Amino acid sequence: MAAAAASWRFEAIGTAWEVVTDEPLPAAVRDAVNAVVDGFDRDWSRFRPDSVVSALADAGGAVAAPADAAAMLEAFASLEAATGGAVNPLVGASLDSLGYDASYSLHDRGARPAPADWRERLTWHDGRLSLSGPGTIDVGALGKGRLVDPVLEVVAAASPGDVVIDAGGDLAVRGRPQRIGLEHPFDTRRAIGVWEVGDAALCASAVNRRSWPSATGTTLHHVLDARTGQPVRAYAATWAVAADAMTADAVATALFFDGGPRLAHEWGVEWVRMTTDGSVEWSAGCRADLFLGADSVER
Amino acid sequence: MIRTALAPRPTRPRRLIGTGAAVTAAAGIALLAGCAPTASEAEEPSTGSTSSSESSSDDTSSEDTSSGGGSTGAGGYADGTYTAEGTYATPESVETISVTVTLQDDVITDVEVTGNPQKRESEEYQGKFIGGIAAVVVGQDIDDIQVSRVAGSSLTSGGFNDAIETIKSEAAA
Repeated sequence: MAAAAASWRFEAIGTAWEVVTDEPLPAAVRDAVNAVVDGFDRDWSRFRPDSVVSALADAGGAVAAPADAAAMLEAFASLEAATGGAVNPLVGASLDSLGYDASYSLHDRGARPAPADWRERLTWHDGRLSLSGPGTIDVGALGKGRLVDPVLEVVAAASPGDVVIDAGGDLAVRGRPQRIGLEHPFDTRRAIGVWEVGDAALCASAVNRRSWPSATGTTLHHVLDARTGQPVRAYAATWAVAADAMTADAVATALFFDGGPRLAHEWGVEWVRMTTDGSVEWSAGCRADLFLGADSVER
Repeated sequence: MIRTALAPRPTRPRRLIGTGAAVTAAAGIALLAGCAPTASEAEEPSTGSTSSSESSSDDTSSEDTSSGGGSTGAGGYADGTYTAEGTYATPESVETISVTVTLQDDVITDVEVTGNPQKRESEEYQGKFIGGIAAVVVGQDIDDIQVSRVAGSSLTSGGFNDAIETIKSEAAA
């Protein structure tokens, strides 16, 4: 076990981050990380009024495409195809309608499907990002992972040795493998397994923390089926390991839907997911160590 | 990984189309006949329920014929054939069905359900991409398993936590 590593914690894009390095990061490196995070937030946060996506929300328009636009929106196109339209970057208004809005009103105004024709409305080419008409872009399906990748790049370039970037549960690891507990979505003191991850990213998604009561007293959460605007009900938690965090994050989102395993297969991503009735599925060859009951079935 | 091979079991029987459609049809009939005034609330499952009974009340077409006086379930519907088109969401897809009910003296004499399942992939097809399944996962205490960190739902930030606290205090007031 190495000597105590240096930990730097901060809050950004709505979650708690921790950056772990062998030695404390110089201020200049922390500044560089902050600049990357802030730039992403100013481009993509629908929670701040001065962001690029907020500027487009009311009436649409065309702007210089933010740096991450093409990579993220192309991944969204793959997610949409894989999930039959359940994942959609214009899902922001659906989240707003359930109360997951810029002011966190958590006031349920009912389910609202996202526009199925988002690829006609939202285009990105020749360095321009265009939205025809009003619409709220929400890149939550993969945005946090997308941001973890450049943060790791900046930190790793300045910090030899082991590095962990932990964006509140979405992780990228360089160097010595980390043993990561897979948090039980219904009991956060417990884990359903351990996954040892080195030189890769593990992204998790679960419905238990960002949840709030609906108008009728049922529970809403932030993982929506864009086709209905309703929170998903079949899966409670997903985990995916990929070479980069955006890919892992995207697959973790897709795994809430039937098409997820196929997309993971195509992208070479290992995964685990847990249904809301407590069963667990995993990918062929998955290296997670799961604490399973005796009745599991290996295919 | 602990993987004990036992007799194979259906992967996810609760997501068979037929099951979902049948349940929804029952809900639709209740709505049409007005004999279950709380049907639309009952359709909303609580978190943690399985998916087969899921039919979204919001998505159900507004063509249902429940009339204002029907809340007692005392009847009073004109004889005839009533049809409601509706969509409902399974967690993975949006399904469209049409329910036609024939009423005579407030008794349902005929029901016809036609579905338009949009689910693309069969269970068998799905199975190619799933390595294994366990009906039960045995959680272990995180303090006992020597992990360096934990991955689950994203930690929430101050803003969200404040909002939840506000809601709780309003609910308690």
